[in-house]
Amino acid sequence: MDFSLPFKICSSGLAAQRAKMDVITSNLANVGTTRTPEGGPYKRKEVVLGSQSAVDDFDGRLQDALQTVEVKGIVEDKNGIKLIYDPAHPDADEKGYVAMPNINVVNEMAEMINVNRSYEACATAFDATKNMALKTLDIGK
Amino acid sequence: MSDIVIGGKAAAPLSLPTGRTAEAKKAAPGGFGTILQGMIKDVHNLQTEANQAIAKVQTDESGSLHEVMIAMEKADISFRTMMQVRNKLLEAYQEVMRMQV
Repeated sequence: MDFSLPFKICSSGLAAQRAKMDVITSNLANVGTTRTPEGGPYKRKEVVLGSQSAVDDFDGRLQDALQTVEVKGIVEDKNGIKLIYDPAHPDADEKGYVAMPNINVVNEMAEMINVNRSYEACATAFDATKNMALKTLDIGK
Repeated sequence: MSDIVIGGKAAAPLSLPTGRTAEAKKAAPGGFGTILQGMIKDVHNLQTEANQAIAKVQTDESGSLHEVMIAMEKADISFRTMMQVRNKLLEAYQEVMRMQV
């Protein structure tokens, strides 16, 4: 069915934005985490998205034009670990400094709004496609 | 609309015995009946898919909400399409039944 292709693309977009949202939530939740399984403070994570041809068969003319999105990986941002003087902290070094995560809450919130809007856009595109399909079924009535 | 052919092949010549036409109809590959059957099967498959997606989310087994919604919308649209085909078929059938003889 020709309407399943835009649905597939919408689905991939929604999944990608959900993945980004998950990572942002994780970043926000770990804004004060100083202890991680791999050692050191929590490091800000970021989702890398990649596109992929949405059409499987080779005879599709739109093959290169239509691309689904997918999560290629999640990378850690190791720069900008903050050292805060707090000798009473259990994870403080011998000079009294604690390594805090490199998370800027304001940046994360802005990114969250961005992701939210993208998700809404995908959902709206889905609705519009569905309405087109339903309108098509009304032809001749 | 001089010849409405529901069987998907041209109307058989009148001289043919009826038994042979029925046989020919059954043998016709890719006739309208086959297409309709395939379509109903597709609709059924999409509905099964939607059901599975719902079950996956309900049992909290790595299912995502948007996939459920999309599967349900797919099933909805395919079912509506099938209903439209059925309505058209019935319309044509009733038109034929109303014909003055």
